[in-house]
Amino acid sequence: MSSAAVVPRSHRAKEVRRHTLIYLGLAPFLVLAVFPILWMAITAIKQDADLYLVDAIPFWFRQAPTWKNFDFLFHSTSYGDWIVNTMAISFWVSAITLLTAMPAGYALARLRLPFAESLGIGIFMTYLVPAIILFIPLARVVSTLDLQDSWWSLVVVYPTFTIPFCTWLLMGFFKTVPFEIEEAAMVDGCSQLGALLRVVLPVSWPGLITATIFSFTLSMQDFLYSLAFVSISDQKPVPLGVATELIRGDIYFWGSLMAGALLVGVPVAIVYNLFLDKFISGITGAAIK
Amino acid sequence: MTQVAPGGPSPPGSLSIPVGARAWGGAWWRTPTARRYLFGYVLLAPAVLYVALLVGVPFLFSLYLAMSDASVGAPVARFVGLENFASALENAVFYTAVRNTLVFTIGAGILKGLLGTMLAFLLLQPFKGRKVVRALIVIPFTLPIAVSVLGWKWMFDSQFSVINWALSRLGLIGAYGSPDWPVWLGQPTLALLSVMFVNVWRGFPFSAIVLLAGLTSVPPEIIDAAKVDGASFLQRFRKVIVPMIAPILFIGTAFDTVFTLSDLSIVYLLTNGGPDGATEILPTLAYNTGIRGGALGRGAAISLFLFPLLLPAMILLLRTLRRRQF
Repeated sequence: MSSAAVVPRSHRAKEVRRHTLIYLGLAPFLVLAVFPILWMAITAIKQDADLYLVDAIPFWFRQAPTWKNFDFLFHSTSYGDWIVNTMAISFWVSAITLLTAMPAGYALARLRLPFAESLGIGIFMTYLVPAIILFIPLARVVSTLDLQDSWWSLVVVYPTFTIPFCTWLLMGFFKTVPFEIEEAAMVDGCSQLGALLRVVLPVSWPGLITATIFSFTLSMQDFLYSLAFVSISDQKPVPLGVATELIRGDIYFWGSLMAGALLVGVPVAIVYNLFLDKFISGITGAAIK
Repeated sequence: MTQVAPGGPSPPGSLSIPVGARAWGGAWWRTPTARRYLFGYVLLAPAVLYVALLVGVPFLFSLYLAMSDASVGAPVARFVGLENFASALENAVFYTAVRNTLVFTIGAGILKGLLGTMLAFLLLQPFKGRKVVRALIVIPFTLPIAVSVLGWKWMFDSQFSVINWALSRLGLIGAYGSPDWPVWLGQPTLALLSVMFVNVWRGFPFSAIVLLAGLTSVPPEIIDAAKVDGASFLQRFRKVIVPMIAPILFIGTAFDTVFTLSDLSIVYLLTNGGPDGATEILPTLAYNTGIRGGALGRGAAISLFLFPLLLPAMILLLRTLRRRQF
């Protein structure tokens, strides 16, 4: 009889051992991934003098935590402008991306066009032509359009990577919307365009939201284009502004640097995190099948 | 079935054989198929035009720029043939940049592959708190790159580096000022290792997640079948799992290689190529020559040297995408 009681127990012990091993294996990865962010966060709310107390344990506070670094950002730098610029850039980039990638994705997925597959792959491949090859000729384009030193230059340039990615993403998405609902609408007298606007789009909002999110997060990952095209302080987006304006000569405003970086970085990371699986299946989804 | 072409009833079969549409005399462009094509290409046009004008044309334009003496100040450029490429090849810094670019990309790539594989197999196990762990571990990849590099810049500070603090307290190095105190971004070898490390830090979650997506796409029945046939873990991994997830691995590798090769921000923000050129890579050299130095033509030539390095990754991706077809 005793064996009946022992079996579940040993099973539990086995589970505990398995979990311990897994956690032990994951611990170094977790520390590696999370520590830098915690360290940035602590730095962001430390007083300046506290940062440079080398004899104290740096992981905690000797002097009371402070919001001074955030104050400094908003009152002594153009941080407020950078946030507004970032938002405005994201808005326009998302709008351009949706208006072009959505119809393109639909056409490639649905209309059985000749060469649709090759065209789709062709558009997607341009996502792999990196900024480092394009930024010099695009500098000429930007100055021809008279947009140098304005955040509008980034609105023009960012769709070069958001359109290819989102077209590919939406193409995959539209393939999953059942053909029947569209056919039914057309039997009922809708034109192809009518069916797209009235039937397919309303059920496609998850794909459209995903595309919007990626227009935003991919734009936030850029550094090179903004560095190359925008040098006036109040026109910069947040990543560029923080990286270039909070360093004066040899003096680094570490507290404010970390505060400014995290204030925007963390929300972006959280949103990206939630949509990460969509990003991965966006670039590889085709290959899994 | 659903629509009858205006201009007369279509003969049976004309819908499925577009060529036949021409035979019956009606205007071929008014057939449903032709109208669908027209509609499709109209929908495609904005995206194709945008990409053609702002990726395709600039790419061709960079070939032209690279063969001209264009500079920021002088709008009219003269054709100079291959002079820019030749002058790049005469510059010692260029060779350092090529070498560092290769060391950086290959070294970091191997490390990301190893760490990513270990992590993927750990995350593949069912355990409590898996979602939370996964969400925390992918943070490095999801944080905007300029943001996290600034954090690393602070952690690599020459005097107040938290890494050095910890090493010093553990007794592995002496106090600040002692000869074994590492100045991460100030010593040539350490600086190159540091910028590589930050790239690995940012990229390993991506490798892990891509691999994980591949591993979870392998049907368990197939692995079970291999087990029943007596295949060991390594055999199952090499003969069953790897071939099945190869396409996804290729795509992940292609992306990571392109991003690593072309990323300027880590090196630019941490060392800007220093100390004394020890971490110079092609992207920083191209930026500093083309934009900072104003020599657009020479900058374009340098960045085009990246193209042959990018090409294998792009071809790999193209072949993988084409092969999966149906």
